[in-house]
Amino acid sequence: MIFGARQARPSFLRRLVARAQSREFSAFVVPGPEAVRVLGVDLDATGLQISGTPRHASVLLLVGELPLGLKKAAAVAYAQMPRPRAILAVGTGDVSPLPEPNVSAGLRQEDVAAGVAELRQLFAQSAFSPEVADFDVDAIRTQTEYVCSMHPEVVRSERGSCPICGMELVPREAAGGDGHGAMDHAGHATHHEDMDNGAQEHHDEDHGSRGDIDHGEAEHSTAAHSDGEEGRDDGHEAIEQGGHGQESASHGEHGHAGPGSTDHASADEGDANPDGPGDSEHGAHSEHEGQGQHAGMEHGEHEDHEHAEHGGHGHMDHGDMDFMSMVEMTRDLPRSSDGLQMEWVEDAPFGPLFPGLPGGLTLMLTLDGDTVARAEAEGIEGRPTAEDLAGPAEELIGRLARLDPLSPVAYRVLALRALESAAGVEPEERTALARVGALERERAASHLGWLSIFGHLLGYSWLEDRAGRLQISLVRAANADEITRLRVEAGRLSRRVEKTPLLRRKLKGVGLLPEGAEFLGPVARAGGVVTDVRADEEVYRTLGFEPVVRDGNDALSRLKVRLAEIEQSLDLVGKAGEMTGPEPATNMEPLHEGPATVETPRGVAILRLRLGEGAVNIVELDEPSARHLGLVGGLAEQRELADALVGVASLDLSPWGIAR
Amino acid sequence: MSAVLTVLMLLVGAYLVAVLEGWVSTGRLRPAGPITSGLALLGRESVVPRQPDRIFFEVAPPLLLVAALLAAAVLPLSPGLVVVDLATGALFVNAALAYVMVALVMAGWGPDGTYAMVGGFRFLGQLIAYSMLIVMPITAVAMRAESLFTTEVVESQAVLPNAVYQPVGFVIFFLAAMGVAFLPPLDLPTAPGELAGGVMAEYTGWRLAVMRLARAVLVVTLAAAISVFYLGGWLGPVLPPWAWSALKTLLVAAAMLLAGRYVPRLRETHVLEWGWKIGIPLALFNIFYVGVLLLVVE
Repeated sequence: MIFGARQARPSFLRRLVARAQSREFSAFVVPGPEAVRVLGVDLDATGLQISGTPRHASVLLLVGELPLGLKKAAAVAYAQMPRPRAILAVGTGDVSPLPEPNVSAGLRQEDVAAGVAELRQLFAQSAFSPEVADFDVDAIRTQTEYVCSMHPEVVRSERGSCPICGMELVPREAAGGDGHGAMDHAGHATHHEDMDNGAQEHHDEDHGSRGDIDHGEAEHSTAAHSDGEEGRDDGHEAIEQGGHGQESASHGEHGHAGPGSTDHASADEGDANPDGPGDSEHGAHSEHEGQGQHAGMEHGEHEDHEHAEHGGHGHMDHGDMDFMSMVEMTRDLPRSSDGLQMEWVEDAPFGPLFPGLPGGLTLMLTLDGDTVARAEAEGIEGRPTAEDLAGPAEELIGRLARLDPLSPVAYRVLALRALESAAGVEPEERTALARVGALERERAASHLGWLSIFGHLLGYSWLEDRAGRLQISLVRAANADEITRLRVEAGRLSRRVEKTPLLRRKLKGVGLLPEGAEFLGPVARAGGVVTDVRADEEVYRTLGFEPVVRDGNDALSRLKVRLAEIEQSLDLVGKAGEMTGPEPATNMEPLHEGPATVETPRGVAILRLRLGEGAVNIVELDEPSARHLGLVGGLAEQRELADALVGVASLDLSPWGIAR
Repeated sequence: MSAVLTVLMLLVGAYLVAVLEGWVSTGRLRPAGPITSGLALLGRESVVPRQPDRIFFEVAPPLLLVAALLAAAVLPLSPGLVVVDLATGALFVNAALAYVMVALVMAGWGPDGTYAMVGGFRFLGQLIAYSMLIVMPITAVAMRAESLFTTEVVESQAVLPNAVYQPVGFVIFFLAAMGVAFLPPLDLPTAPGELAGGVMAEYTGWRLAVMRLARAVLVVTLAAAISVFYLGGWLGPVLPPWAWSALKTLLVAAAMLLAGRYVPRLRETHVLEWGWKIGIPLALFNIFYVGVLLLVVE
């Protein structure tokens, strides 16, 4: 546990503490708890508690193959975890930029349980170790750069004067990233030295755990998640935006990292920058920098003289500020829609590892106090695109099924149907029925999974637990009897939710969508639009399928639609009689272009493919989450934060279904 | 002596509340849970976020603890067992609890992070909703006791506890107390799903341990206040007085912890709207109603 242990010689007391820690495991799950439930793994049974913030977690649990964006986010989360900490990887291959996992295990329940047990042992033995290393990721690295306060375009890696006006350049912090190597190293080397000294000092003194705590703080500034931005990797952007010049320079001096301080920051900037709207951006972007600026922190912690300059400038600026009136200070700052000047936080990231949203989904919110002024959603960086899916026909099914781990069956069926339609064959009735069973089971499980995340967001812990457990049982269910039993339980859950006091009031009118916008799946059906490709399919008609439709077009009606669909889908599984994995029809020989549609749990997905020189080319892949992405802004903007999050969550966006 | 005993009782209470809370949230009853989790937290790094408002960041957890302890100082466990029997005891509870808001806003501002900051602001809003509702019912309680001595408040309920005598006041005070202790469904400042821990999100290690202890003590204190003001405190047959106090306090605490599990978190607008449009008229009505009762019955 070289990156995870606390630096200390093991003593009796520390061993005792380590044992306590090995019993109190709470895990921060990447991409999120829903990704574990989808696999039918019950974390609760392994004794791992789930933590919503890396700050309160001791185990970083990596689940399945992670795209690059999630690995980077996980690395930042890991850096934010206080030591002792450990990484448990289940079914994950290469994890860089994270360090090697302390324990790796398979994806089945017993493997995970064994992994947790192994980790407990490891923790009890080596939570405190004399040898530790600092963990550092590019995304949170800091450098100091020098800018002219009059000419923002002048940025140097060394101290000096401005070639244009001759003024002395002022230092500022910027988050590092690829491509800023040279600058990075200049600022960085010193920083490491500081840190090592700091650690060394404390180590030498070797007084009780308090000493370590202090050194921990210093080192941990790597992590410094000033606002819990799990895994924003915004090195470049931060620098670019930082280039707005003087005010960001003054900003750097102050080193206000996080959005919390945006207002002092902007207050300072008010005098430096008459041009206005830029500064709040700085407040925000410095928050990205904030992740990584150890330098500033270091001087705070260690009174390091090398950095004294920062402090000096900071004071100077504060001096100026005393003469400013409040009106002047806030003059050029952005206003709320009601004209009041509130704490303006630009681009606060909620995600990609945010507990109230599906793991991987990032909401960038500009907050005006606790009102959302602007919202944008993003999917997962590094997720395969349609071009990546091209290749030999026989591999297409597997590749597509891995595209969205939250609904693999739907994507698998989509691939099969496209290939079949290209080959001009129809599956047998039995196969078609089995596919219905598999699809509907996945739909019910997916809706239950959504319900559990939604319950967590709402602070309705009974619902979170109950829906989560039902989802796990449903994924594991092996025969028709179990489905029948689960159908009864789902009915109970549904009635209980509908009767929950205050839930109606909480959801009614939240997440209203504009008339006439294009919706799909449950979101559309909750707005009174009958759109469901299942209604056009022969096999569904023979089963007596009728789409569930509700009026309201808000979060409440979306909840109702999904509750009703859980029951309906389980009924359909019962009627279909089979729920084995979807198998390809025989004699497939793709000939020409093949279009296919599947009603996934989130709405209709469309795939068109073409055969060319032995390989399949994806002509078009249209996914519901991607189409719903544009709705996020309208749902969230000018809403209170909680309402905005509820509105976005009610769409049930899959971050895996959004190309980025 | 009584100070030591009260603090001891509070700590035992906080321990039991922590066990209860663990039980409610994980479904497993682990009597030793708070000890292991406390030890585990003490052995972890306590990270200071970069560029914190250091004073606010450091002061908030102990201040929360102090506020809860101060309020507990005037609450009697038995006739002789009260740290200070102030002539203004019933009001002092409120005065001490006012610092809960200060502590949380500091905890929100100090670490310099979005989640925490929004959490702190939210609690400021929550204060506006609950602050009147935690004072006004006490007025009616004091009217009946004709005193602000907490001991006399308890004795005034010898015939009939206030929970029955003035049920409206009881319900309002109970809900307002949940607001003070930021328990679900009024956990707007911590909101696990919305703010990933909010005001507590940036605390780790021993600082988090202090924060959690403070929260548990606060819950016990408020439960004790409800028991003193509305459930007749130490009064009861057979068992010794302190045991009655302890029992009532624990039952109230358990009710406070359980209630939030079965309902969603309230919307901030609703907390404010219902607090002022429904809560305050009802609290006024309660004062009027108790006044009439006192005039007619006496």
